[in-house]
Amino acid sequence: MVTITFTGVSQCFHGRQIFGPLEARLSGGKITAVTGQNGSGKSTFLKLAGHLLLPSSGSVLVADDGVELHKDALRQRLAMVTPELRFYDRLTARENMDFLLGMRGMTLDEGEYRDLLERVGLVEAAVAHSYVGEFSTGMRQRLKMAVLLASGADIWLLDEPGANLDEAGRDLLAAEMRQAAARGVLMAIATNDTREEALADETISLAGG
Amino acid sequence: MKPSLWQAVKLVFVKEFTVGMRFKAAWAAMFMFALTTLACVSLALQGGVLEPRLAAALLWIIIFFASMAGADRVFADEDTAGTLLALRLYGGAQPVLWGKMLYTFFLLLVLTIFITPLFLLLIGAEMAAAGAFVLALLLGVAGLAAAGTLLAALVTGAQVKSGLFSVLMLPIILPVFLPAIFLTAASLGAGEVPVGFLGGMALYDGILAVGASVLFDYLWYED
Repeated sequence: MVTITFTGVSQCFHGRQIFGPLEARLSGGKITAVTGQNGSGKSTFLKLAGHLLLPSSGSVLVADDGVELHKDALRQRLAMVTPELRFYDRLTARENMDFLLGMRGMTLDEGEYRDLLERVGLVEAAVAHSYVGEFSTGMRQRLKMAVLLASGADIWLLDEPGANLDEAGRDLLAAEMRQAAARGVLMAIATNDTREEALADETISLAGG
Repeated sequence: MKPSLWQAVKLVFVKEFTVGMRFKAAWAAMFMFALTTLACVSLALQGGVLEPRLAAALLWIIIFFASMAGADRVFADEDTAGTLLALRLYGGAQPVLWGKMLYTFFLLLVLTIFITPLFLLLIGAEMAAAGAFVLALLLGVAGLAAAGTLLAALVTGAQVKSGLFSVLMLPIILPVFLPAIFLTAASLGAGEVPVGFLGGMALYDGILAVGASVLFDYLWYED
């Protein structure tokens, strides 16, 4: 089972302490909500969990059955949905997915691709000939979900994943999150949305300062 | 399942090429610079012939500064577009580095193939050693691509990307740049061709590429 363990983690930016020292343990099969006011470090927490940022002090250990995961081995199992995640504006949805998934050695045939788009509420005919730069914000968010689902990752770090989604999109997201957790996916959601928070098995509250 | 390094490098190259062809900013900047300088040289010479050493220096100055206009974009464009996170999440360090380096080499090679015949025609140069000339161009461009890709990655987080890129680039590329000028001059008739310089350039290119490969892991991963 995959776990992420925060030991004495503090994070400072430009001399200002964002949070810490923090002790936390995230486990596969559980949804952990990370809550706190704006600027309390929720997004930073996710970046630390994915080793996309080094902590100012303390350590973040990502392990599978006690064996530490590093670099490519970790990235191969990691997927994120965050407002900072952008796709290539001058590539189509299919080209973006083929590139990103291809970098992990995965390919989608036409049927799988169509099914995936349908699963996240995107109509293939509507996106086939458009560059991602022409997508609405909601469509981009759904595309992020599609890449997340196709990535085969078992560590999901989600930063306000319901942002820019309509009701149907939020319901879809909630259902996918529950299913993924049931499959053993480790999931952390940075959120202030009470509906997303209600999905969580546990909550880490970042007080800030 | 991880793809082979070559498969992943090809994916990065094809992505760079596709985005580059659709956006065209890097291509336009480089080719416009090259065309402008070539036009200036042509107008200044007014049909006159340039001395080989001066011609060689001028050719490499045009290639160097034209490449500065495009090579620094390989990571800066990802940063500006916000796609760097996606690339970091899904792409391993080595495929990204080698894919981008290969694309930069291709970009600079196309630029060189475009500039060189025009330049030689304009200055009325006579070729004394075509083989050495072509090898010097290839090795010089390979050095520019290797150093340019690494420096572009290094300066991506900096506030003044272009300025820093050019300042750092010159001292790093000098061991390739100077022999390239001497070889080009000799190939255009300024004395005997210093063949040994070709080996030196190849060796330095290799060091640059391997050095970039080792250093890039530290830039790409935080652990």
